[in-house]
This record gives sequence, C-alpha cells and structure tokens, in this order.
Amino acid sequence: MSLTETEAVFASIHETALNDLLTAFFTDRPRYLVYGSPSFVPATTVAETSMPAIPFPGVPDGIQWRVTLGIPKVDLYKPTIPLPPELTLNPGQFSARLDVEICLNCRRLKIDPRPPRPGTAGRKDDKRGKDGPQPLSKVTCCKLSVFAVGHLEHVMAITGEDAIALAVDAVEIVDIQPDELESVVECLLFMILQAVLAEVRLPLRALRAGAFELIPVVGPLIEDDQIKMRGNV
Amino acid sequence: MPEIIAALDEKGANKLLDKAIADMDPLGDSGSGNLGPFVAGYSITATLTNGDVDLIPPDTIRIVDLRLDWSLDLSFGLDLGSILPEFCLPQVCVDIPCVGTVCTPEICVDWPTITIPVSFSDYLKATVDLQLAISLVGGQWKVEAVVLAVPNLQFGPTSAALLAAIGAAATPILLAVPFIGPFLAMAVDIILAIIAIAGVTGFLGPIITPFISGLRIGLYEQSQVFEVLPATSPVDPKVDIVIDVVKAEVQHNGLEDELVLTADISA
Repeated sequence: MSLTETEAVFASIHETALNDLLTAFFTDRPRYLVYGSPSFVPATTVAETSMPAIPFPGVPDGIQWRVTLGIPKVDLYKPTIPLPPELTLNPGQFSARLDVEICLNCRRLKIDPRPPRPGTAGRKDDKRGKDGPQPLSKVTCCKLSVFAVGHLEHVMAITGEDAIALAVDAVEIVDIQPDELESVVECLLFMILQAVLAEVRLPLRALRAGAFELIPVVGPLIEDDQIKMRGNV
Repeated sequence: MPEIIAALDEKGANKLLDKAIADMDPLGDSGSGNLGPFVAGYSITATLTNGDVDLIPPDTIRIVDLRLDWSLDLSFGLDLGSILPEFCLPQVCVDIPCVGTVCTPEICVDWPTITIPVSFSDYLKATVDLQLAISLVGGQWKVEAVVLAVPNLQFGPTSAALLAAIGAAATPILLAVPFIGPFLAMAVDIILAIIAIAGVTGFLGPIITPFISGLRIGLYEQSQVFEVLPATSPVDPKVDIVIDVVKAEVQHNGLEDELVLTADISA
C-alpha cells in the first residue's frame, strides 16, 4: 500500500514527535499548565494564569486555589502506556497521562460577634497566632496521577491554519476513596483537561515539519502510533 | 521509525515541481563567446517550465520535456575588408580636344567594419535526471533536486534558425555600406559560411547548457528552529521546535513511486 493511497499527499507524525510538540508548547507557554487565584498567582504571566478566587459567603476574598498540571504524555493508538482498567484505548483514540497538583489556601476564619449585616461577610480571618489550633493560613496540596482518553478534533489555529486539538472523552484517577469523591475529582479534572487541551492547537503544518502543502481530505486519523493525514497539494 | 513523514505521489510531485520551477528567479547571463571566427557579445534571459515528473527509486526525479524558453541578444563586429575582395573604381582617361587627356584617379573602396546585432528567441526541451540533495547550512534545512548529469541538448534546428536570423540581420546593415550592391549577396553568404552551423552550435552550447546543467530546484526549505506558533501576546510567546534530522528519498510503495521526506524533531 502506498503512503498517499488515493490522494496526492500524505503526512504523519509519530507519538514521540507529538509529545515533543506538546513539550515545546508547554515549555514555551507554561502558563497553560499553572492556574491559580490571586494569592497564588497575582497576575497572568508567561509562567502562570491568574484566575478569580472561588467566591463563598463568609470567606473574605474567596477560596484561594491553584491547579498545576504536568506536561501530558500522549500515547496514540495502538496502546503503549498501560491504562487503568476503567479506561480503554480504542482505535482512533489517544490516551494521556499527567500529574496534577491541586492546592488550596486553607484559612482559619473568625466569627464576627457583631450582628450580621446584609451584604457583608460574617467572618474574618482569624488573627490568632501560631499557638492557635490551626495556623492563620496553610497551603494544602494533593498530587494526583491522571489518565485520560480522547480523540482528535480538526480545528483552526489562531493563525487561521488547519490544526488539531486533543479532545478529552474520559478521565480516570486511581485509588481515591470513597468512589464518590473520586468521581467528583475526576469530573473537576475532566473539565479542566478539556479546557486546557482545547487551547493547544497544533497546526497541521507543524505536524509535517512544513514539508509539502497539504489540503486535508482524509484525517487527521490516529493509526499505528501516528496521526495521519492525506490530501491534495 | 521517522518521527515525521511527508510523501507525494507523482501527481503531487508534478504539482510541487510546477510551482517550484515557476517560482524560480528568471535565468540570465551576459558575456562574450566565439561565434565561428567572430567574438560576439551577448545577453540572454531564460525561463523554465516543468515537464512530466517520473519518480525513480532511490533518489532520482526525472523530468521529461523540461522546457527552456530563451531570448538572446548578440552582436559582433565584422571587418568587411577581410571577407570582400578589394574593390576599386578604375582610372578613366578621356581625350579632350584642346585640353589633352584627362584622367580620373583610381578610387578604391575601403570596406568598413560593421556591427551586426541579432535578437533571437527559441526554446528547447530536455529530459533531465535530478538527484535529491539535503543540506543544513546556516540553520536552514534544504532539500533540492539537483541535475545529476549534463543532458544532451539538441541545438541543430535552433542553430540553423539562428544562422538565418544572422543573415537577415546582416542584410540591412550591409545595404548601408557604399558600393556594397554587387557584393551584398556574396557578403551575406560569406558571413554565414564562415560562421556555419557548427559556429552557432558552439556559441549556443556553452551559453544555454549551464541553465540546465546547473539547475537546482528547491523542494523543501525550513529553518532548523521551526516556528510552530507565532507570539500572540506578551504572555503567549512563540512556540518553536528544532528539526534535528531531515532525509529525502524516492520510495516504491505499493504500486506507486513516492517522494518521501522524513524529519526528526525535538522540543
């Protein structure tokens, strides 16, 4: 079988090169891996993305948080990276494994003895010193290994070029108990990963290192540990 | 296994070469060459048009009927005295009564040196074999198709036509020469005879052949530091990868011959 089959042009990128592209993207633009509210990330920079705190009544300035993602390691069908039994890598799909750290700024709040007034927070930060039952605030983090499976979507890059994006279909985190908590965390990371990876739009031009013009007709497809495309000049 | 593969079938390669050849800067040259016994100054411009591409494993691209359209301006000086016989008006004496014999002096024509300018356009077709050449120079990857051997260019009919054009160009120049009348046809014949087909072929060959024999057609050119995405804001700088290795070959896959370019990259 020819590479081009019935089309005039063929291009493919192996998963190792796709991972190089993802590493390049996240290395040059690390802010797509780090998101946090102002006490963690005061302003958006190349390194981090500043987001609002989670507003909650009685918590001054809201709940402060940070999510730090590792660079995902992508495996294109056929499977190379073992997956938890809950996930299956089917033809046409990719899997990804990455580490995620979720941090909260855990604060002790003091009850304001004055009568509550509409529109004001009823609590303030506890000003007690270190001899109190909890410190004034403490950054509490957990690290998780996350697995995901998904498929490719044909999108447009910011340059107007044809591009691909990685669309997440399912997420699995191993060994969180109880199961309901695992489901909640998985749901949270499912949404986060979908949003993050949707921003990583890799131009088809880059997937063929700029070689030969290609107007896509077939693909992009995931086959044989590669993304393949066929088309016209 | 290569990390990135890009392949073209012969139809695709034909289109790639159509564009690559059409995008080439016009060819041109000027100088002087031997036109038979004469030294002729010339300037020439030429353009190429792709023919039919045949991919031949492992690394040959054959272009059948590659067409070179060329336009030549040449001029050469000719001392008519060197080709025409000496021509003198003889002395004439007349007996005049009461005066005696009066004679005119013998007048010999001093044949001038003339310059013959010729403009001529034609085309030729050739079948050329090109070999893939890969280079990394100054941080720039290039894959080019380079002519493998000097093709045998046929100048016979062209030479005859150019010789006729020289004759046609010489005639009005000669007509302006005093006393040339009886010698006009002879002068043209002599000029054409001493240049001859061989002279024209010997003139055209060294001028036109380099346009084909030195042909380099760009198939791929990319910076080794390849820009995946441009910078779009202060917090979104450009994204680059490095192209570490580039290879190119012609492969026979299935029933097709394909031009295959491979690359390995790193972040």
